[in-house]
Amino acid sequence: MQSQHLRDGRILLAPLTIFLLAMLGLPLVVDLIYSVSRVEFRTILSPEFVGLANYASALSSENYWQAAWFSLRFGLVCAVAQLLLGLFLAIFLAPLIDRRPWLLAFLMLPMMVAPALVGLMYRLILHEFVGVVPWFMFTYFGDSPSFLGPDNAFRTLVVVEVLQWTPFALLILYSAYAAIPKDVREAASIDGAGPWQRLWRIDLPLMTPVLGATFFIRFIDSFRVFDNVYTLTGAGAGGATTTMSIWVYEAFFKSGDIGRAVAASMLLLVAAWAVLAIVHRLSERRA
Amino acid sequence: MRSSRLFAALTALLLTSAAAQAEVTVLGWPGGPEETALRDAANLYNSKADVADEDKVELIFFNRDGFWDKLQTDLAAGGGEFDLNLLATYAIGRYAPFMEPVELPDSAVEVFGEKVLATMQFEGQQYGVPTDLSLHFMYYRTDLIDQLLSDADWQARYAEIAQKKLGKALKPKPPAEWTWDDYQATALFFTKAVNPDSPVRYGTVLQMKNLLFNMMVWHSTARSQGGDWMDAEGNITVDSPAYRKGLELYKELYDAGASPKDSLSYEFAEANAAFGSGQVATMLQWNAAAADLNDPEKTPAVGGKVGTVPPPAGEAGRFTHIHGLGLGLNKSAQNKAGALKFLEWLATPEAMQAYAAGGGTPALSPDVLAPVAAQRPDLTQLGDYAGQYGFVMTGATSAGALSTYELQAEQFTGYWAGQKSLDEALAATAQGMADLLKK
Repeated sequence: MQSQHLRDGRILLAPLTIFLLAMLGLPLVVDLIYSVSRVEFRTILSPEFVGLANYASALSSENYWQAAWFSLRFGLVCAVAQLLLGLFLAIFLAPLIDRRPWLLAFLMLPMMVAPALVGLMYRLILHEFVGVVPWFMFTYFGDSPSFLGPDNAFRTLVVVEVLQWTPFALLILYSAYAAIPKDVREAASIDGAGPWQRLWRIDLPLMTPVLGATFFIRFIDSFRVFDNVYTLTGAGAGGATTTMSIWVYEAFFKSGDIGRAVAASMLLLVAAWAVLAIVHRLSERRA
Repeated sequence: MRSSRLFAALTALLLTSAAAQAEVTVLGWPGGPEETALRDAANLYNSKADVADEDKVELIFFNRDGFWDKLQTDLAAGGGEFDLNLLATYAIGRYAPFMEPVELPDSAVEVFGEKVLATMQFEGQQYGVPTDLSLHFMYYRTDLIDQLLSDADWQARYAEIAQKKLGKALKPKPPAEWTWDDYQATALFFTKAVNPDSPVRYGTVLQMKNLLFNMMVWHSTARSQGGDWMDAEGNITVDSPAYRKGLELYKELYDAGASPKDSLSYEFAEANAAFGSGQVATMLQWNAAAADLNDPEKTPAVGGKVGTVPPPAGEAGRFTHIHGLGLGLNKSAQNKAGALKFLEWLATPEAMQAYAAGGGTPALSPDVLAPVAAQRPDLTQLGDYAGQYGFVMTGATSAGALSTYELQAEQFTGYWAGQKSLDEALAATAQGMADLLKK
């Protein structure tokens, strides 16, 4: 009977396994081969083995570390901002959303828009001569800052990313907040706990795993950002807004250095796996 | 009964597929006048009685985002989804391994001229038919410049600013006679931050985004001072007084506030929007912007008040970067014979006149252009400027050309943004180019 269950389970899992092997396993194998090969577009079908040279080349590139530093800063700042803003909105708007759940769908709209379109939209909105924001700045203050210039580009990109993806944090955190049993809060109230005490001693501790997961998801997403940064500022003046994804894209398509680009992607994969393993270990220890 | 219907349907499907494969498929430049023009030319070709059904042309368009990258991937993979594909001067070296050289009829020289045909050549071989030519104009506001040339108070202020900012005694000149000093002085005069009485906010708008196409626009400054990518022996020559002068010009204008603060994120569209707002006096820009900017319906603030001349002169003369777009033969084409027939026809006066009438921008010899010159007067100017001032940097059609433009864009924008010194930017560029262009 048990072996029958085991066999059924294997049969049911087989299509998914085959799909994953074909869609993820095969490209991964090809990537592994390319990452240890000298390969360009003209030699794409005949890669030449070069060992770890591509990895060494990527790791010794100043631009690679500049892009890694930008992505790390961008990922951390955006994830923290989205988490705090999402948490505030989830708790502040909870009574309203409880009564009118359709509002949640409305609040999700920003993340339904393609990130590349968001980038193009802000290129218009922030343009000194046709954008609505500079128009108000000139009208009321007589001047407008350079939103996409070297001094402000990072801040502008963070704001755009946070405005688009905070709804994601809001959705998850609101669900976690709404899932906390009401009788726990009522009991605390009867024991004399005020709103702040309930937040610090009941809500946040119970939401901690979800807060961690949300932070992790948003960090990974912001770390590997491409579309809206690419359409807004590209690689930036002197490469100042080059993210890891843009670095890989430019190494692959613009320089045609496929082996180096794929090696950098593999390094990113390993880094992401390491972070995932640490988070997993921490959550297991907590459990 | 059901199986016979299925068999019939499959047979029909196979025949349709075979027919589709027999057509000449052409991957064109989407979403602009080039698309409209190519559609008109293809319709004319398909309507001709001597074009067999299996040689009719079918056009394929997707979108411009990442076009060249997608094309490169498709060509490298040996894709035969299109027989003819778009080709650009600066990308020929990169795509040549996946394409086949073509032999055009001798009459093609009479249609285009040697210089324009050369924009589609790589290592001495012809890779395509040049359908569109791009170069740069110096755009200026005729109303502002007319007043500058006639108003004594403005001229006195202009001379004062030129002396103070450039240390030179300059007087306003007509734009066709400008040197880069005259352009700089004019731009500063029309800048509110320098001259609070200026009727516009900025004297010019520079495209300084880290983008390869912006390097092409800027190159006219360096070339007019005698700059080039490399000398006859293949030595990289960008660390030169000519390059320094051109780079410093942009930085001085940007730092003086003569160009919008966000210029480091500007490309074609942003610069046009700035100039079209009526708040900018001059602009070095691609010829493709001329028609819309001078159309009062499309650009009410400046339409009808826009003049165009060749870029200003430097010590070595007056120059404009030129490059061509064209169509070439995919090595993996399914219908090579049909594709070559269409290419040969495309190099005839009949085809190019239809293409020009449809909105394209081919550079044609005066005789070929004559029948459509009244309809497209801008093409006369295009042909003149290309012939008189056009240049292609040495090495700018090689396999490493695109990467070289990218490298320069990154380094030079870093200098303009104040992130690195001019010496650092030029040294890094020279070192990178030595690697890229030796391949």
